[in-house]
Amino acid sequence: MLTALWLVPVVGALLVGVVLPRRLARPVGLATALVTLVLALAAAVAFQSGHQGYQYEEYVPWIRDYSIAYHLGLDGISLWLVLLNALLTVVAILAAGDRVARRGGFIALILLLEGGMAGVFLAADLLLFYVFWEAQLIPAYFLLWQWGEGDRANQAATKFVLYTLVGSLLALVAVIGEYVYAGGGAHTFDLATLAKQPPSPGIQFGLFFLFGLAFAIKVPLFPFHGWLRDAYAAAPVPLLVTFAGVMGKTGAYAMLRILVPLMPHPVLWWDWNAVVPILAVLGIAWGAFMAIAQRDMKLLIAYSSVSHMGFIVLGIFAFNQQGQQGAVLQMVNHGIIVPALFLLVGWIAVRTGTRDRTRMKDLAPRMPVLAGVFMVVTLAALGLPLLNSFAGEFMTLLGAWQFSPWLAVAGCLGLLLAPVYMLRLYQGLMYAAPGEQLPPPGDHGHHGAHPAAETATVARTDLAGGELALLVPLLVLMGLLGLYPYLLTQAMNSLGYPLPVPWR
Amino acid sequence: MIATFLAVTPTVSYTFGQAGSDLWQVAPITAVTATLLVAMVVDLLLPPRRRGSAVAVISVVGLVVALALAGLRWSQGGGHSAYSGFATGDSFAIYFEVLFSVLGILTVIVSHAYVRRRDFLESEFHVLTLAAVIGMMVLGAATSLVTVFLGLETLSIALYVACGFARRDTMSQEAAAKYLLVGGFASAFVLFGMALVYGASGTTLLPEIARRIGPDQASNPLLLIGVVLMGVGFAFKISGAPFHQWTPDVYQGAPLPVTAFMSVGTKAAAFAMILRVFDYALPGVGGEWQALLAFVAAASMIVGNLMAIAQTSVKRLLAYSGVAQGGYMLVGVLAGGNSGISAVLFYLFAYLFMNFGAFAILTVLVTPDGERDRLEDLDGLGFRHRWLGLLMTVFMLSLAGFPPLVGFFGKLFLFTAGVSSGWTWLVVIAVLTSVLSVAYYLRVVVHVYTPLAEVPEVDRPRGPMVAVTVSAVLAVALGIVPFVIQGAGVMGAGPLIAGR
Repeated sequence: MLTALWLVPVVGALLVGVVLPRRLARPVGLATALVTLVLALAAAVAFQSGHQGYQYEEYVPWIRDYSIAYHLGLDGISLWLVLLNALLTVVAILAAGDRVARRGGFIALILLLEGGMAGVFLAADLLLFYVFWEAQLIPAYFLLWQWGEGDRANQAATKFVLYTLVGSLLALVAVIGEYVYAGGGAHTFDLATLAKQPPSPGIQFGLFFLFGLAFAIKVPLFPFHGWLRDAYAAAPVPLLVTFAGVMGKTGAYAMLRILVPLMPHPVLWWDWNAVVPILAVLGIAWGAFMAIAQRDMKLLIAYSSVSHMGFIVLGIFAFNQQGQQGAVLQMVNHGIIVPALFLLVGWIAVRTGTRDRTRMKDLAPRMPVLAGVFMVVTLAALGLPLLNSFAGEFMTLLGAWQFSPWLAVAGCLGLLLAPVYMLRLYQGLMYAAPGEQLPPPGDHGHHGAHPAAETATVARTDLAGGELALLVPLLVLMGLLGLYPYLLTQAMNSLGYPLPVPWR
Repeated sequence: MIATFLAVTPTVSYTFGQAGSDLWQVAPITAVTATLLVAMVVDLLLPPRRRGSAVAVISVVGLVVALALAGLRWSQGGGHSAYSGFATGDSFAIYFEVLFSVLGILTVIVSHAYVRRRDFLESEFHVLTLAAVIGMMVLGAATSLVTVFLGLETLSIALYVACGFARRDTMSQEAAAKYLLVGGFASAFVLFGMALVYGASGTTLLPEIARRIGPDQASNPLLLIGVVLMGVGFAFKISGAPFHQWTPDVYQGAPLPVTAFMSVGTKAAAFAMILRVFDYALPGVGGEWQALLAFVAAASMIVGNLMAIAQTSVKRLLAYSGVAQGGYMLVGVLAGGNSGISAVLFYLFAYLFMNFGAFAILTVLVTPDGERDRLEDLDGLGFRHRWLGLLMTVFMLSLAGFPPLVGFFGKLFLFTAGVSSGWTWLVVIAVLTSVLSVAYYLRVVVHVYTPLAEVPEVDRPRGPMVAVTVSAVLAVALGIVPFVIQGAGVMGAGPLIAGR
C-alpha cells in the first residue's frame, strides 16, 4: 500500500519518460498522479486517529549486516504531507501546459520528484530516509537545469545541487554516526529504536550540527538560503508548485521527525535547541524585509516563503504540542498557499510580459476574476483569520510564547510585515491611484496623459476556465482548513514514534 | 628460519595428484592461462583475416570458463592454500577471480570493436589483456611476497605494452614510456620493501609474517623502512596522491579499452595486494602503515577531486576521479576488520561497473582517425542517442554516489566502516571532497544534454553497447539489491580476518 505511494509515480515516470510516445505523456502522467492522489486519499480516509505507532506499516529486511530495512510507515504527520505532495503533483502536471517544451521529460521528472518526496515522508528507517532524501535531488536538478528560465538556469541548478549536497553529504556522516553511537549499541537505522536511545549529549551536539545543516539548507532556514534566490528565479512555474510547495517541507519534516526526537539534548559548547529558534526568528524578519524590497514578483513570493518557513521552524523548536502541531499545520497551509501564489504570479507575468511588479498596475478591471482569486490568496498568505494560515501561525506563536515570550514577540514582526509586502503587491498590481488608471479596456485613445510607455502592455484576458479549475481545490482547502483546522490536528495524536515532548 | 623455508621445497615430493590439487585451487587462473596459450597458437595457425575474431571468441570463452570455475569454487565454500603456501584458493582470491573475469570479458567485447575501427592488430591486443588478467588474478591469490611480486610484474609488463599499442600515436607512445618508467620505479620500491620485510621476518609467506611480526617489532627500523617502501610502491599502483602524477597522462594516452581495463583492473589488483600484505600480514605494525595510508588517502581525495574539476578531457577527468575514488577505498583499508575489507571489496565491484561503463561509452564514440574524449565531444549525446545519454548519466551519478545507485552503497559501507573504527576525520574529508566531485561529474552530464545545432551521425558498434548496457543495468540493480555483492564481500573478507 505505502510502497505504491512512491512506486506508482516512479513507474509512471519511466513510462512517460522512456517507453511511451510523446503525445501520451500528459494523459498518462496525469493519470499516474491522480491514481497516487486517490491512493493517498484512501489512506487518509482509512486512517485511524489515536492509534499508537505507524499505520499501514511495511517492513522488509534489506541489508541485514547493517540492519538496514525497507521500512515504511504512515502517521499523523506524514499523512498530510503525503496528501499535499500527491495533490500538488496533480496541479503541477495540469499547470504544465503547452508552453512547457519537451513536456514528456518534464512530466516524468515531476513524477520522479513526487516519488522521491513521498519516500522521504514515508521512510521509517534512517538510511531509507536518506536514500529518498538524496534521490529527490536528481530530478530537481534536471528540472531546474533543463527547464529553467533565463540563461543562468544551469548555474542556478548547479548552485542548488552543491548547496544541498554540502548539507546532505555531511548528513550521511551523521546517519553513520547515529548507527555507530546511538541505539544503545544496537547498530540499527530504525528510527523508533534510535529515538528511544539517543547518544550522549556531546555526540548529539555534533550529529545535530551535521543533520541540522542538511535540513536547514533544504527548508531553507536563515542564513542557509543562498541557493533560493537563483533557483526560484530560474524555476518554471509548474515546477515551483511542488518545488516550493513540498520540497522545503521535506526539510521541516525531517527537523521534526529526525532532528528533534533523535537528538533531544544536543548540548556541548552550547545548546543547539536554543540556537535554532533564534535563527528561525531572524529568518522570519529577514525574509519579510527582503520580500518588501523585491520588484520581481516571483522573488517576492520566494522571500515571503523564507519568512513563513521561519514560523514553521520556530514552532518545531518551541518544544511543546501547540508549537509543533502548529508547525505541521503550517507546513500544509504554506504548501497550499505558495503554489497558488506562484501560479497566479506566473499567469500575470505571462499576460503582461514582465515579472516586475512596478511595471504594471490597474489590472483588476481587466481581469476581475483573477483579481478576486488573488485577493483571497493574498489574505490567506498574510494570515487573515478564517483562512488557513491563521490557525497555524497562531499556534506556532502560542507555542513559541510558552517557550520564550521574547522570541514570540520578535516572530510577530513577521505577521506585521506580511501585510506590508502582500498588500503592496496586490495594490500595486491590481489598482492605480485615482487619475492614474489605465484607459478602460477597449479604449486605445489617450496614451499621452499617462505613463503608459513604462507600463507593460496588458493582454486583456482574464483567468481561463482551466486555470481557475486548477486553483479551486487550493481555494477550497484554504477555506476549509481555515474554518476547521481540527481536521488535520485530530489525526496528529497518532504518531509512529513519540516525540520528546509527547503530543496528546 | 631461512633454513626451514629452504628446507620445505626439496623434501616435498611433488606428485601429479598434488599438482592437480594445486591447479584446482587456482582453477580460474589455470583456465585463463590455458586460454592465453591456445589463443597464441590459434593466432599463428589461422589466416590473418580471421585471426582477430577467432582470438576474441576464444578469449571470451576462456574467461567465461574461468568465471564459471570461480563460481563453482565459490559455491563449494572456497579453498585453501596451495603451492606450499605460495598461493591460495580461498574466497578472497575467488572474489577477485570473479571480478577480473568479468572485467576481462567486458574488455575483450569492447576492444573488439575498437581495434577494428582503429585498424590495430587484434589478436595481440586480446592476448595482452589475458596476460594482464592472469597477473591480476595472481595478485588476488598470492599469499607470499614472491607470488605478489610475480603477479604485479605479469600485470604491469602486459600493460606497458598495451599502453603503447597505438603505434602511430605519439600520445600512446608517451603513455607507454611514462608508465614503464614510473611502473618500474614503483616495482623497485615494492621489491626493495619486500626484501627488507623478508629480512626482518625471515619468511616471505604472508600468514607466517603475520605470526612473527607483532607490535613488539614496531621499532625495528628494517621492518619500518620495508613497510614504508612497500606502501609507497602500492600507492603508485593505486595511483594515490602524491604518487599519482603518471595517471592522467597514461590514461589519456593509452587506447581507450586499455584505459578502461586498467583504471579498474590495476586498481582492484593493487587493492587486493594491499589488503593481503598490510591488513592480513602486517597488522602487527598497523599504526605505521596506517599513518602512511591515511596521508595518501586524504591527499588522494583532495588532489584528485580538485584536479578533476579543471580537466577538459573526459579521460583525464576520469583519471583524477579514479585517484579520488582510490582515496575513498583506502578508508576501508584503514578501517580493516570484516566491515572495512568487505566494504573495499564491495566498492571494487561497484567501481568496475560504473567506471568501466563510463569509459566504454567513450569507445562507442571512437572514429577511425582517433578518439573523441574532449568534454565537448559529448555535447548533445543525450539527444542524438537517448539511451547512451541516459546510461552516461547513470554512471556519473553512481560515481558521484547518488542513491539508489551502487556507488552510494559503496560509499556508505566504506564510510560506516571508517566511522566505526575511528577514522571520522578522514570520512569528513571524503564527504566534503565528494561535494566537489559532484561538480565535475555533473559537468559531464551537462555536456551530454547540451543541445547541438547539427547532429552528427553516430553508428553504434554492438559490442560496446552490450558492455555499456550490462554495466549500467548492474549499477542500478546492485543499488536496489546491494546485499548480493555485500554478502559476497563479507565472505570474501573472511579469510583475511580469520583467527583474529
